[in-house]
Amino acid sequence: MPMVLLNCDKDIPEREKHIYLKAPDEDTREFLPLSNAPTIPGTLSERGCAFCGAKLVIGGVLKDTIQMIHGPIGCAYDTWHTKRYPTDNGHFNMKYVWSTDMKENHIVFGGEKRLEKSIHEAFDEMPEIKRMIVYTTCPTALIGDDVKAVAKRVMAERPDVDIFTVECPGFSGVSQSKGHHVLNIGWINEKVGTLDAEITSPYTMNFIGDFNIQGDTQLLQTYWDRLGIQVISHFTGNGTYDDLRRMHQAQLNVVNCARSSGYIANELKKQYGIPRLDIDSWGFNYMAEGIRKICAFFGIEERGEQLIAEEYAKWKPQLDWYKERLKGTKMAIWTGGPRLWHWTKSVEDDLGVEVVAMSSKFGHEEDFEKVIARGREGTYYIDDGNELEFFEIIDLVKPDVIFTGPRVGELVKKLHIPYVNGHGYHNGPYMGFEGFVNLARDMYNAVHNPLKGLAGIDIRQPRSGAASNGKKEAA
Amino acid sequence: MATEQLQGKVEQLYDYVQERCLWQFFSRSWDRQENIDGVLNKAADMLVGREPKRETPTDKLHCADAKVMVMDFRERFPWIAQVSAQEVDELMEGLKGRLVDISITKSKNRELHDHLY
Repeated sequence: MPMVLLNCDKDIPEREKHIYLKAPDEDTREFLPLSNAPTIPGTLSERGCAFCGAKLVIGGVLKDTIQMIHGPIGCAYDTWHTKRYPTDNGHFNMKYVWSTDMKENHIVFGGEKRLEKSIHEAFDEMPEIKRMIVYTTCPTALIGDDVKAVAKRVMAERPDVDIFTVECPGFSGVSQSKGHHVLNIGWINEKVGTLDAEITSPYTMNFIGDFNIQGDTQLLQTYWDRLGIQVISHFTGNGTYDDLRRMHQAQLNVVNCARSSGYIANELKKQYGIPRLDIDSWGFNYMAEGIRKICAFFGIEERGEQLIAEEYAKWKPQLDWYKERLKGTKMAIWTGGPRLWHWTKSVEDDLGVEVVAMSSKFGHEEDFEKVIARGREGTYYIDDGNELEFFEIIDLVKPDVIFTGPRVGELVKKLHIPYVNGHGYHNGPYMGFEGFVNLARDMYNAVHNPLKGLAGIDIRQPRSGAASNGKKEAA
Repeated sequence: MATEQLQGKVEQLYDYVQERCLWQFFSRSWDRQENIDGVLNKAADMLVGREPKRETPTDKLHCADAKVMVMDFRERFPWIAQVSAQEVDELMEGLKGRLVDISITKSKNRELHDHLY
C-alpha cells in the first residue's frame, strides 16, 4: 500500500507524503512518512514552537532553576503549568513563572536593559535560588537582543549565580523538536564538565529523556536505589541544574526519550566516550528488558533479576486483571513522537490492545523507522496530523480510546470517544511496572466508563432513548 | 546449512531484531553500523560459547544488548541450540546484511548521513 491521500486533503495533496498505511510485506525501505518538515500551508497543525520544545519540555522541568523568558507575557504563560512534572522539593518549577513582559516600547528601543533588570529582580526576590535559564522568544530574537552578553554581565556582578542561555525563538524550527536540539547541544558545549560529582557507587549512570511526568523519575529512582546504581544526572526529571553539569562523570547513558534528548547522549559518547543505551521505560516486558541490560552492563545481573521478580510478583496480577478486560481494545496514539514506538508493542504484548492509528507532532524519520518496524499492519502512521485528518482516520479505524493531549482530547470527547492524556497522563506515573498498571487502569476506566454512553443521549428527545452520537436531530 | 534454510532462519532473527532492538535505529549511519557489528559479533561469541571481550565501555554495552537478545533467541527459536559454530557465523553475517540494508543502505531517513548530531 502506498502513501495515503485522505479525502480531506484533496486540496493539499502534499499531505500524502506524511501518511502511511502499513500493508503486508512492506517495510521502511519503500515507504517512510516525510517528517520534521515544515507544516504545509492549509493544514491546522497541532505542533508547538521551538521555544516551547526547549522550555516546556526540558528546561522547565528542573527543580532549582529560574526560567526567565525574554519575551511577551504569553510565551511564559503558555509554557507554564501545561505539563505535570512534579519535584521532590515542593514543585518549585510549577509554582512560579518568570517573564521580562516585553511591550512595544521595549521592542522599539531594545530589551537588554529590561532583561538585565528582570534577572536581578528574580534573583533578589528568590535569594535561595542561584541558577537560571534565559530563553529568547520570537520578538527578542528578531530585534537582536544579546542575551549571552547580559547573562555574562550579571554573572560578573553576582559570582554565586550561574546562567545558561537558550536561543531558539519559536520561528527557528519546524516544531518543538528544534528547541530540544538547541538546548541539548548548548548544554553539552557550555555546561557539561564544569562541576564534579561525589561518586558514591561503583555503578554510575545518567538517565536521559525522562521528565518526571506525574512522578515517572521518582518511581524509577526507587529501582536504581535498590540496584545500588548512582544516577549522576537526570536529564531532566526532578533534576537540578548542577547535576546536569556533572553528566561527564557517568559510566553509562541510559536513554528513554531518544527524540528530545538523543542529541546529548550522542555528544556525551563523542566527547567523553560514555556509551549510550536506549531502553523503553513503559511496559512490563520492556522495563524488565531495560533493567536486564543496565545490570548486564554493570555485571550485577542477579540484583536485576531479584528486582524484576519482586515487581512482577507485586504488579503482574493487577496488570493481568486489566489485560483480561482490555483485550482487543482499539487504541490510537496521537502524541509527540517517541511514545508511538514506545507504546505500540508494549500495549499489545502486555495488555492485548491493538494500536490502529498513530500520529506524531514532531517525530523525525528515525522515529517512523522505529514505529513502523514495531507497529501493526493495517495501522495508519501520520506525521503532523491535523483535525480534519483525525476525524477521517477515526471514521476509518474506529478507535475505542485515544491517547493524546488535552486539546485534541476535548475534540474527540465530543465524538464520545474517550481520551487519556498521553502527554501529562490522567493518573500517572505510567513508567515502570506500577506505572503500566496505572496506564492500564486509566485505559480501562476510559473505555468502560458508563458516562460515555450516557453523554451521547440527546436529552431533548427522551422518548427516542437512543444515543445520537452527538449529532442534533432535526427539530 | 542450505541457502534457503539459512535465509529462512535469518529472516526469523531479522523480524525479532526489527521489532525489539532500538540499537539498530541510532541517529547516524556510523552509529548504526557500529551497533550492528558490535552487538552481532558479541552475540556470535555467546551463541558458540566463547567469552566475549568486555574491555571497553562500548564492549560492555554491546555485550549487554547481545545478552538479552541471545536469551530471547534461545527462548523463541529453539533450533538455534543445534546450530554449529560455522553456521552461527553465517547466520550473523546474514543478519548483519539484512539490518545494514534496511537501516543504512536503503534507509529513507534523510538525517542519517548528517555529519553533526
